[in-house]
Amino acid sequence: MRRLPVFFLLDTSGSMYGEPIQALNNALSGMVNTLRMDPQAMDSLWLSIITFDREVKELMPLTELASFQLPEITCPQSGPTHTGYALEFLYAKVNSEVRKGTPTQKGDWRPLLFLFTDGKPSDLQLYRKMVPLVKSLNFATIVGCAAGKAADDGMLKELTDTVVHLDTADSATLKQFFKWVSDTIEQGNKSMGTSEQVTLPPPPGEVNLVI
Amino acid sequence: MSTKTVNSVINAGKSYQYVDNGEPMRGGMKDVYFSPDRSYVVAFYRDAQDFASRERLRKIVTDYYNSFFNREGGDYYRELYCWPTDMVEADKKVGLVVPCYHANFFFKKGYASNDLIKGKEKEGKWFASPKFRNKQFTLRLDEAELGNWLSYFQICVNISRGVKRLHAAGLAHSDLSYKNVLVDPVSKSAAIIDIDGLVVPGLFPPDVIGTADFIAPEVLATKHLDGKDPGRKLPSRLTDLHALAVMIYMYLLYRHPLKGGKIHDLDTEKDDLLSMGEKALFIEHPQDASNRPKLNQVNPKELPWADVTKLPYTITGPYLKELFYQAFVTGLHTPTERPPAEMWEQALLKTTDLMQPCSNAACEQKWYVFDNTHSPKCPFCGTPHKGTLPVLDLYYEFKPTVWKPENHRLMVYNNQYLFQWHVNRNIIRNERLTAAQKVPVGYFVFHQGKWVLVNQQLTSLKDLTDDKEIPIGSMVELTDGKRLLLSREEGGRVVIITIANK
Repeated sequence: MRRLPVFFLLDTSGSMYGEPIQALNNALSGMVNTLRMDPQAMDSLWLSIITFDREVKELMPLTELASFQLPEITCPQSGPTHTGYALEFLYAKVNSEVRKGTPTQKGDWRPLLFLFTDGKPSDLQLYRKMVPLVKSLNFATIVGCAAGKAADDGMLKELTDTVVHLDTADSATLKQFFKWVSDTIEQGNKSMGTSEQVTLPPPPGEVNLVI
Repeated sequence: MSTKTVNSVINAGKSYQYVDNGEPMRGGMKDVYFSPDRSYVVAFYRDAQDFASRERLRKIVTDYYNSFFNREGGDYYRELYCWPTDMVEADKKVGLVVPCYHANFFFKKGYASNDLIKGKEKEGKWFASPKFRNKQFTLRLDEAELGNWLSYFQICVNISRGVKRLHAAGLAHSDLSYKNVLVDPVSKSAAIIDIDGLVVPGLFPPDVIGTADFIAPEVLATKHLDGKDPGRKLPSRLTDLHALAVMIYMYLLYRHPLKGGKIHDLDTEKDDLLSMGEKALFIEHPQDASNRPKLNQVNPKELPWADVTKLPYTITGPYLKELFYQAFVTGLHTPTERPPAEMWEQALLKTTDLMQPCSNAACEQKWYVFDNTHSPKCPFCGTPHKGTLPVLDLYYEFKPTVWKPENHRLMVYNNQYLFQWHVNRNIIRNERLTAAQKVPVGYFVFHQGKWVLVNQQLTSLKDLTDDKEIPIGSMVELTDGKRLLLSREEGGRVVIITIANK
């Protein structure tokens, strides 16, 4: 059985401290529960959570959905946003953990990446160096999510065409966003049209999709 | 949250209410809202529907609705399909009014360890995937939800009948899938939903190609072609028959018939497209073993079902073995060779006559198909059959004094019943049986060390070996080689008894 690996890169820099990080925890646990109600997701989905602030941490290595234990995500009260470093870490992880097809073994499905940030990369040089490398990993979808006024859509647009902008990182908005994320992950098991390719579902009303 | 009202575009003056909480359930193409009393849903297409599509929906809720339900036997099908009853329009969006499914299609317990999916729909995937029945899997389904192996035969019979009826009306479902066929092993029933995709050959083309796992190989192999290209294959009656065969295989064996270990391309998407499309190969192809599942590569939670050596498709018995061969070997790339739905229905029913209860109380499947050997045992838990086992072979009168085998056999177990459809070949076991025809005419018991048939309703039962009439209310012993005439009426059968496992 092929796995569908999904990577979450989550910004835990100082600006997330307080309500935003609580909201993020809440929304993520809602998403995991939603996914666990879907037998198709239960059959193939593997999740990984990587956080980044000054440091990059693999909070949860790639784990089958049924055994996935969502850890409490915390963040320091201040500090830089090392998005570039996070991409570098992700690049290594995807290369080592996602199974590629070989002449004797079936490969995993193309992985999905969701990058959530409320600021902009403090390590811009590394970020720009990693963008083409991450793009070369052949993700099925990369979704960038910029939350709050300080988040820089432009930076994310260098990585992916699909950028969702959330005006605030409050609980309701994040919950809606992660509902959309789970819809996106579940796309594959719906009926396929006779003409068009499978596309992302439309985002919920209160989210701005920057294309 | 607000309650909204929409008007029917078919029946002037008729309106429907639905509750809009801003978060409809999202299907592939529709947003679904419940009525205030939750007895029906209103499902709006997200995209505008063109003239042809509206016409199709109109016909589904009017002409086809009437021809399926407003006639004799309609009640049986009302249970089997979730058929749209009306068409509405609001804000230029077309919607359908569809009755809600029966309560038995929602989980009463769900997962064994928590209530996360309690109350959720029982879509087929829950029961087709081996993980959810694996005792070592953290989020397995509760035992009370799973039924036993015999439950899935009844479920598959119902699905086959639903497809048979659609095809008899010249329609194709076009998207039979986990989500579109709900199953309930507890009440042993199935419901075919999402009828609005119905394809009428020549009149209304399909708008979906189907759902992964169930799309026929020829549809995937030609999906790159333009819709108008003569080589392009779209869903039809014949692709329904592929989906039906896959579904039956999955509900009986909890694995996909085409997902094996063979690699066609190093790229995952290309490999998947080839292995389900152009290069599709049955994992249990008798001559070509190249697509056998590689047990060192499967998720251990998928065992023992992924092991085709331990649980080969032949455990489903001789009739289904034949049809699986036809569906996944001869007919896989030759759609016209695929067995029609009625053949599946009849083969499934005949197979239930071969089934024996497993004597191991802890056996998870509880039933198995007699394997025609001298030392029968349950293929699932390995428990050997205890005691003797009467086998009744059915014969029909080909011409006066010449009796031929029916290729139909009845395995006897304690407290098993005999029915009209065993007695007379003119009575066919299908959804058109009357209530009176479903009443047993006799039963088999192991009584004081002997197997006997007790006659309850057979007016002309005769022991031909001992040349003796067996009146109603009396019994006849089943002995090796004995011949019984079940009925003198036209179509009445003779059975020849073999005692196995002596």
